Amino acid sequence: MSSRSTSRSSAQAHRQAGLLRLTTGIVSAHTEDEIYHAMVDGLHDEALGYSFLGAFILEPDTGDRVLRASAGWPDAPESWRVHKGEGISEWAVQDGKLHYTPDVTRESRYLPSRVRGSEVDIPLRIDGETIGVLVVESDDLDAFDEEDFEILSAAADQAAIAIARVRLIDAERRRADEHKALLDTLADLSSELELSRVLQAVIDRAVTQLGVTGGEVAIYDEERVELVVVASRSVGKDSTGTRLKLDEGAMGAVARTLKPLIIPSYHEWMGRSEKYSDITVHSVMAAPLLIGRRLVGAIATVHSDPERVFTEEDLRLLNMFAPQAAIAIENARLYTEAQRQRQYFESLVQNSPVAIVSLDLDHKIVSCNPAFERLFGYSSEEAVGCPLDELISTADTRSEAEAYTRGALHHAVHGIGRRRRKDGALVDVEILGVPVAVDGEQLGLMGLYHDITELLQARKDAEAANSAKSQFLANMSHELRTPLNAIIGYSEMLQEEVADLGQTTLVPDLGKIHTAGRHLLALINDVLDLSKIEAGKMELLLEDFDVQAMVEEVATTVRPLIDKNSNRLEVHCPPEVGGMRGDLTKVRQMLLNLLSNASKFTSDGRIDLEVARERDHGEEEVVFRVRDTGIGMTPEQQQRVFEAFSQAEASTSRKFGGTGLGLAISKRFCEMMGGGIELESEPGKGSTFTIRLPTVAVAAAEPHTIA
Amino acid sequence: MTRILLVEDNEMNRDMLSRRLERKGYEVELAVDGRQGVDKAKTLEYDLVLMDMSLPEIDGWEATRELRADPATKELPIIALTAHAMSGDRERALEAGCDDYDTKPIELNRLLGKMEALLGRQSGAEGAGA
Repeated sequence: MSSRSTSRSSAQAHRQAGLLRLTTGIVSAHTEDEIYHAMVDGLHDEALGYSFLGAFILEPDTGDRVLRASAGWPDAPESWRVHKGEGISEWAVQDGKLHYTPDVTRESRYLPSRVRGSEVDIPLRIDGETIGVLVVESDDLDAFDEEDFEILSAAADQAAIAIARVRLIDAERRRADEHKALLDTLADLSSELELSRVLQAVIDRAVTQLGVTGGEVAIYDEERVELVVVASRSVGKDSTGTRLKLDEGAMGAVARTLKPLIIPSYHEWMGRSEKYSDITVHSVMAAPLLIGRRLVGAIATVHSDPERVFTEEDLRLLNMFAPQAAIAIENARLYTEAQRQRQYFESLVQNSPVAIVSLDLDHKIVSCNPAFERLFGYSSEEAVGCPLDELISTADTRSEAEAYTRGALHHAVHGIGRRRRKDGALVDVEILGVPVAVDGEQLGLMGLYHDITELLQARKDAEAANSAKSQFLANMSHELRTPLNAIIGYSEMLQEEVADLGQTTLVPDLGKIHTAGRHLLALINDVLDLSKIEAGKMELLLEDFDVQAMVEEVATTVRPLIDKNSNRLEVHCPPEVGGMRGDLTKVRQMLLNLLSNASKFTSDGRIDLEVARERDHGEEEVVFRVRDTGIGMTPEQQQRVFEAFSQAEASTSRKFGGTGLGLAISKRFCEMMGGGIELESEPGKGSTFTIRLPTVAVAAAEPHTIA
Repeated sequence: MTRILLVEDNEMNRDMLSRRLERKGYEVELAVDGRQGVDKAKTLEYDLVLMDMSLPEIDGWEATRELRADPATKELPIIALTAHAMSGDRERALEAGCDDYDTKPIELNRLLGKMEALLGRQSGAEGAGA
């Protein structure tokens, strides 16, 4: 070559310097293209003097060779593509060896160019694989010799090593980028729990990483068996909200097959969706989003550039993003579910009218609800962290409150007490404490406070009202009795006086006044008794007494009434009946009532009073039976006989007298003493009333009081 | 003659009961309120007091407590009379120191029985003390 016309030694040195520059250029290059340029430019350097050079690099998918750098070819077409199998340099690609063509015009494979001389093709090889070819041409025929082959091979080897290094660095960098993208997305997952935003982040990164036009992510709506696009990036429109049935569009297709899919030419594809007919989509790559084998959504990326196609490498990258999106959807679902449950329970607590406070194991307040804030006057901020019992108990109630708290760590506690508000006022509360454990681990306890101040006030008011009513009744009875005393007393006294004066004709009339007065008094007494029973004011005065003595006294008292209707009274009360404990006055009143009833509704008949000690279900009872041979009662009459103001017939009270309250009162008295009253009767044959009383009556429990 | 002090604010009751008792041979002195009742009882001229419970000035319970607090009238028989049939009246009267209790309207025979029982007991006690 012409450059070698200089003197040998200086030429040698000159070439050495050129080789050094070549090497330095290649080594200091950072990218593949810089390396190609360094290689061809270094060889084109006048010190080495190669005239026409080109670096053709193989395209992996097509096998075509594309010109990436050239020297000495000012008019070389950019990205000149030499198809696979064409051109002289194809030989070097095929066998990975240097090929020398001394006269290019003689080769049928020669692609015409401006050069009409000789050509050397040196393969660029990394790890035994040819990645491209260095083409060196000369206008002269047979212009290259062994020394040129050596120099050019060395340059190609150096370049190949540099390319291998750059590719390694690129791969590392890409791996690092992918790793970072994954981390970024996962960071989004934990910080940005709103699903569509996470999926938007996923698709944004996928689009950037894949270098595609755009993409979208859809979630699977199990109920409607549809995909819903929730994140969309640069697909030509905002496609969010688009719904796709299974088999509809690329995502619909992968949702059905559960396998990824590359569609090189979307507009020719049978499964394309009309919903994307308004945008330019050239090719599509889609993948299902799966949790195990369960479909949760789909992801797709598109190229709108007809020159770009999706490769297996793209699919590998997409498959990196798919699990992230799937996990995001699943997490969001679980999170939403958990959130919903949490909100549900939170709203229960927040809206509860009952004050609720939760404590840790040290009895310190962890949280409290608005009802607690209202009840005790402390804001949540003030309360949290404070020991509960210090906050709301007083010196008087401190030990009691602490006992509740300690107990509630182990079991439910319940009670009523008084607690202090922030303003010092005391509130009456019903207290419930329960331990709180999660997965068997004791976390603390929960306290519930129900303000019963109003309840207690209402109770006091009711008691006051009731007491006022009782007082009214007492006063009323006093006011009625005072004039009645005069009527009864004066009529009785007058009977004695007129008898003394010998004016006996007046006695029956005075007797009627006296009897009417007595009846009115009985009525008042009965109404009063019944009112007291209804008001719960009737009390039992329990005492031990001898039954036989009491029965004899009653018989004596009732005898005049019995005689009046020409009845006969038979009393059967053996001494072994013995004594009993009960309210003597009330037992006497009941027997008098039954006996006077019996004699009222019987004439010229017989009345039996039988008293016995009997056993019923193991309980010892004293039984009083009053049997008459009177008018008796129909079953309907029997049903109403114990109701207040219900003599069997309204007319009977006029005919037979009585208040109609006696049996109602007797029934209540029996029940108060733990016994009962029964009736057997048949019209025209008579009635039998049976009173059963426990031998030892127990006073009904005192009304419940809240201290 | 046995002397009875009847403490009663109601005129008709006073008139009626005193007349009936007088016809039965008792000498009856009247007091119209609790204060007068206590004052008269302390003259020690009476064998027995019939004490209405609802009285002006001081009521029958208070009057009874005053008489019981005085050693001179500590043993004086007192029968409470009341129109109140509310439970507890009997207990309250006995607690205040009454010896017995009867409700109005008065059933004369029943009251006379209670009076005689107390007068007999008292004279018996006097006899034992003499």
